[in-house]
Amino acid sequence: MSQVRKRVLGTLAALLAIGSLGLFLIPAFVIRPFRYQSASALSLAIRVKWVAPALTAIACVAVLVLCWSLWRTASRTARAGLVAAMLLSAASAIMCRANYFEWMFRPVQAAGFVAASDAHLADKEMVMTVQIGPDARAYPIRQMAYHHILNDAAGGVPIVVTY
Amino acid sequence: MWKRTAKGRELHFYLAGINNQNFLMRDRETGSWWQQVTGRAISGPLTGTVLELAPYDELTFGLWKSESPHGMVLAPVAGREKDYDNDWEKEVAKYPVPLSFPGQGLKDRDVILGIEAGGEARAFPLERVLKQSPIEDKIAGIPIVLVAGNDGASVRIFRSQQNGSGIELYRDSQSAEWRLIDSGGSAWNFEGCAVSGPLAGQCLEKINFLKDFWFDWKIYHPQTTVYSR
Repeated sequence: MSQVRKRVLGTLAALLAIGSLGLFLIPAFVIRPFRYQSASALSLAIRVKWVAPALTAIACVAVLVLCWSLWRTASRTARAGLVAAMLLSAASAIMCRANYFEWMFRPVQAAGFVAASDAHLADKEMVMTVQIGPDARAYPIRQMAYHHILNDAAGGVPIVVTY
Repeated sequence: MWKRTAKGRELHFYLAGINNQNFLMRDRETGSWWQQVTGRAISGPLTGTVLELAPYDELTFGLWKSESPHGMVLAPVAGREKDYDNDWEKEVAKYPVPLSFPGQGLKDRDVILGIEAGGEARAFPLERVLKQSPIEDKIAGIPIVLVAGNDGASVRIFRSQQNGSGIELYRDSQSAEWRLIDSGGSAWNFEGCAVSGPLAGQCLEKINFLKDFWFDWKIYHPQTTVYSR
C-alpha cells in the first residue's frame, strides 16, 4: 500500500470517528436542560437522532475495516491513532442508541397500587388524580416528578401520566 | 395526563429528552417524538397527531381520599424511594429558566393556573386564587369559576353556567362544613355538584387547566393574558 493511500485511509478513519462523535454530540448539546431551545434547533436535533443510530453503525464498521487493513504496516503512533478512532466510533455508536435520560430518571416497569386507606402519604401531599368510571387513581407528584412518565390504564382506558 | 391512543393504536411512551424544561417523549410503537406539555407529535410517522387529554386534578391526598375513599394510589417503585425528593419544589425553584417574561407582573417561577378556551389563554396566579376563591371570570365568552378546596391548596375550575343561565357561587360562611352557595339557594360541593336546593343532583362542567410555572406557560401561550383583579 502506498504511503499516500495509507494517509488517505487513515484520515478517512479519523473523519468517520469525528463525524460519529458529532452525530452523538449535536442532539446531546441541543437537548440539554436549562437552556432555551428554538424550534429549528430542536428539529435539527431530532432529525439527527433519527439517522444517527444507522449512520454511526455504518461508520463503526467502516473504521473497523480501515483499521484492519492499515494495522500491519502502521507505525506505533499510527496504531495509537487507529485505536483511538475505533474506540471513538464504537463509543459514539453505543451512545447514539443509549437513552441516557432513562439513566437519570428510571422508568416504572410495573406499576403497583395500594388502597387509599393503606397509603403512607401525608394529607397535604399533592397527587395527580384521575377518575374514569368507578376507577379512581392517584399518583403522588413527588414520585411522578422523578419518573416523569407512567403508562397506565384507568377504567380500562389506556392513559399516560406525565409530570 | 393523556389518553395514549392515537389513530386507533395503543401507544407506550418513554422519556426521550428535555425541551425548555418540558420533557419530550417517544412512543415504542412508531418512534414518534411528542411534546409532553401539548400532547402533540412533532416528529415521526404520527407528526401532527394530538393526544386526547385525560381529565385530571391536582389535589392534596387528604382531599382526594375524602372524595374517593376506595381509590388506588401508585406505590413507590422498590429501590427508587431515595430518588423521590421531598423538597423537589424547592430544588426546582433554584433552577435557571430558559426564557424570562417580565412585564406582566409575574416572576418566572410563580405558579399559575393556565386555561385555554376558544382560542384565548389566561393565567391565574395560584396564590391569588387561593386567597380570593371563588373567583368568577370569563374566557372567550365562557363564564368560569375557580374554586379552592377546604384544604387551602387544591383548585378546581368549572363553567359557571347551568341550563343556559349563569351561576354565581359564594363561600357559605354560615355553614360549619365547607360548601358554596348560589343566589338561587342551592349548595355546591368541591366536585362542582349541587348537594341541596333547587339544582340538587346537577353538576357543573369541569374546565381543564394546567398548573405551571409562569415562564413555561408563556413560552407555549405567547398571547396569554394574566388575571389581575
